[in-house]
Amino acid sequence: MRFFLFIFTQTLRNIRHSWGVQLMTLFTVILSVLIFSFFYLIYSNMLQAGEKFGEELRLTVYLQSPLNPADQKEFKEKVAAFGKVDKINFITSEQAFQRLAKQLGNDRDVLADLDPAFLPFSAEIYPHKDISNLTRIKEFADYLKNLPGVQKVQYGQAWVERFSHFVKLLRFIVIISGTLLILTTMFMVSSTLRLTLYARQDELKVLRYLGATNSYIKGPVLIEGFALGLFGSSLGLGALFFLFQWIKNHFSSAGFLNLFELRFLPMTNSAIILLGSIMLCTLGSLLSIRRLLKR
Amino acid sequence: MLETLNESHSASDHPALVEIVKVTKIYPPDVVALRNVSLSAAKGELIFLTGPSGAGKTTLLKLLCRQEIPTKGLIEVDGNDLTTLSDNAIQNLRQRIGVAYQDFKLLPRLSVFQNIAMPMEVQFRSPRDIRNRVTELMEKLGIREKQHKPAGKLSRGEQQRVAIARAAANSPLLLLADEPTGNLDAATTGLVMALFQELNENGSTIIIATHDESIYQGTNHRKFELQQGELF
Ligand SMILES: Nc1ncnc2c1ncn2[C@@H]1O[C@H](COP(=O)(O)OP(=O)(O)OP(=O)(O)O)[C@@H](O)[C@H]1O
Ligand SMILES: [Mg+2]
Repeated sequence: MRFFLFIFTQTLRNIRHSWGVQLMTLFTVILSVLIFSFFYLIYSNMLQAGEKFGEELRLTVYLQSPLNPADQKEFKEKVAAFGKVDKINFITSEQAFQRLAKQLGNDRDVLADLDPAFLPFSAEIYPHKDISNLTRIKEFADYLKNLPGVQKVQYGQAWVERFSHFVKLLRFIVIISGTLLILTTMFMVSSTLRLTLYARQDELKVLRYLGATNSYIKGPVLIEGFALGLFGSSLGLGALFFLFQWIKNHFSSAGFLNLFELRFLPMTNSAIILLGSIMLCTLGSLLSIRRLLKR
Repeated sequence: MLETLNESHSASDHPALVEIVKVTKIYPPDVVALRNVSLSAAKGELIFLTGPSGAGKTTLLKLLCRQEIPTKGLIEVDGNDLTTLSDNAIQNLRQRIGVAYQDFKLLPRLSVFQNIAMPMEVQFRSPRDIRNRVTELMEKLGIREKQHKPAGKLSRGEQQRVAIARAAANSPLLLLADEPTGNLDAATTGLVMALFQELNENGSTIIIATHDESIYQGTNHRKFELQQGELF
């Protein structure tokens, strides 16, 4: 207990001695955590949105001629031969016509003179999750296109592709900013603490002459690293939370954000970021001591 | 008095606290600071080390707190061979040795109080113990009013007393004082010597390196003289 009290007061003494650099380092840690977790937040929201779209994803297969129940069964078997499918609905021309009329609402009279048969017979295919990703969907669509009697396959290709590229780009940014987070925090923390240790060299020498043990000298430095990680990452995550709230309040009425619900990082991910930063900063402080003791 | 007892009996019935056997110290490349020096001090003894400037007094004290290692010979403190001691063991031993350095080695930005408290903090003593002991020492050496002043802003004589108080803080097993009265007037010298006397009576072994004849004349403590690295 007394041991911790001393290490703690010693830590405060060190911080008071060089609070300027320490503050700079704290800001760097906060900023790195903020940048990383910001991109990660976007990324995880996009993934979530993608999943939701994936659930609603369906392929519409337009057929040259209507299928009778026996043909329908055969078609289903052929489709299933590629991969698991959740559901297949056959839409007759009449059903398609009624749908269209419903969508048109008050303007439905434009359809008045038309024969429902101008709309083709189609099948709506809801693929299973396993084949909901972009490349599999493409392959699936190609496969369907080559089935006999198929005229056209539609699934919002352009949109799905763009979204998938966007997610890929985001993943790249997340990886880059994560790497930067690791490098900056470790480097900044270890070099700051090393600087402060240089400034305290006389004191350290005297402490050694007075019989100070390694833990007495190292303890406060490790605690400084730990504290930098703890405060840096919790302030960074706190800042992200406020930024998130602000965005949600100001843009929730704007169209595209309404498509899916914005969500903050889950507890576990926040905890991982917090613990990870603490670990990195403590590691940085360890590095600074190791270099110091080598001299 | 305790020390007269120690003096009359030899090291054989009182285990020696300090044992220096045929020690030579050569600073690279070829400065011979000590040559074949042998000396032992019994537990609870107070001895003086004299000799002209450059004779090797400081070097001898540095060897005893393992700031330097001997080129040749054996040094034991409290039964520990200093040349083979592990890092941790050295730090442990240093906690029981108080050193008042000739150049003080105070931390100029810390206050008088903080400087004196350092060796006690290193041993994780309770804040109350520290406060009491530091206050007592400052009072005994007449620097109580300066307790909040940074050590760097004191006069040489005041700094010297802070260094002595720091060395005495833990009532060490062995106290090494290098020229402890060099900057002090007669009255203050008296205060310092009284403190040493008291520590000695409470069991500390003390080695004082000094030019100041007034502090050893008329005492019956052993006195050794170094000349050009050799003991007389
Ligand atoms: N670090 C060192 N490197 C090289 N030579 C040294 C070193 N320290 C001391 N010396 C030399 O060793 C000799 C003994 O020095 P030491 O400091 O032990 O003398 P001293 O008796 O304490 O003198 P003084 O009374 O002036 O303090 C001197 O010739 C000195 O120049
Ligand atoms: Mg000297």
